[in-house]
Amino acid sequence: MKKYLHEIMSQIDGIHAVLITDRDGVPVLKAATESAPELALRPGFLTTVGMATDQAGKLGMGKSQRIACIYGKYQVIHFNRFPLMVSMIASSTANTGMLLGLEAELSSLVQDLKAAVDVI
Amino acid sequence: MGCCFSSDDDKNSQDGEPNERTTLLGNPVSSSSSRPTSEDYRRRISYPLSKKAEEAAHNRILRYVEANLIDISHMNSQLEQQEYLDRAHEYSHKIATTALAYTYLQKRPFVLVDLPAPEKGLAIIPIPWSDLKLLNNTCENVLNALQEIKVEHKEELVVQFEIH
Repeated sequence: MKKYLHEIMSQIDGIHAVLITDRDGVPVLKAATESAPELALRPGFLTTVGMATDQAGKLGMGKSQRIACIYGKYQVIHFNRFPLMVSMIASSTANTGMLLGLEAELSSLVQDLKAAVDVI
Repeated sequence: MGCCFSSDDDKNSQDGEPNERTTLLGNPVSSSSSRPTSEDYRRRISYPLSKKAEEAAHNRILRYVEANLIDISHMNSQLEQQEYLDRAHEYSHKIATTALAYTYLQKRPFVLVDLPAPEKGLAIIPIPWSDLKLLNNTCENVLNALQEIKVEHKEELVVQFEIH
């Protein structure tokens, strides 16, 4: 499965890491290159995003599905797949649209992992 | 300059005859029989709301508020290191042992799905440009020739069939 994630990462220039975590930031599946920022891989950062996603769903515009955060050097895209969270860390020059398009490719993998996490 | 005042006196209507002060619709404040009050509503309910129903209503309201309240005070709460490691280990063990259908790992061909070996067809040396030109010219000439075909008849096309 990590190999599959690495293959997906090779499709788009600039992706540094793809993480699938639970709501507490514990990684279920992780694939990262050496250029991925270490701070963004910590559970504290990922937990905050998970909580922000849940709270953003109360703003009256429906459930939050994706969050895209563009920073100076990096961009972080999160897909809300309760109880899991898919996070992609890429360079700020990477194609954001193509990163968002990866959701469809990751959906079957996330579905299988969801079944594994639910059993725990 | 002027003044206006009103009076609640009903002296003029005491004799019962309608005048300019008589209201058309009746007095909505003083008449008790025309409009039901909250007392009437309460009396209509023959039994009071039970405690259980009241509690259920309170719980429903609490749940609604809890679900819709935006609360960011617990954003900084984090797992302990040991619990984090235990859970990560549990997940990796579970994924390794669970038999997952790796259907997503099968690569789907992106082009030429109907050809069994597209790479062989693409590896062939292409037709030279002069041959393609020759083919195109020949086809054009054939089309032109077909359009120029005419039938010229010298005798009658329809002949009487005679029996002797």
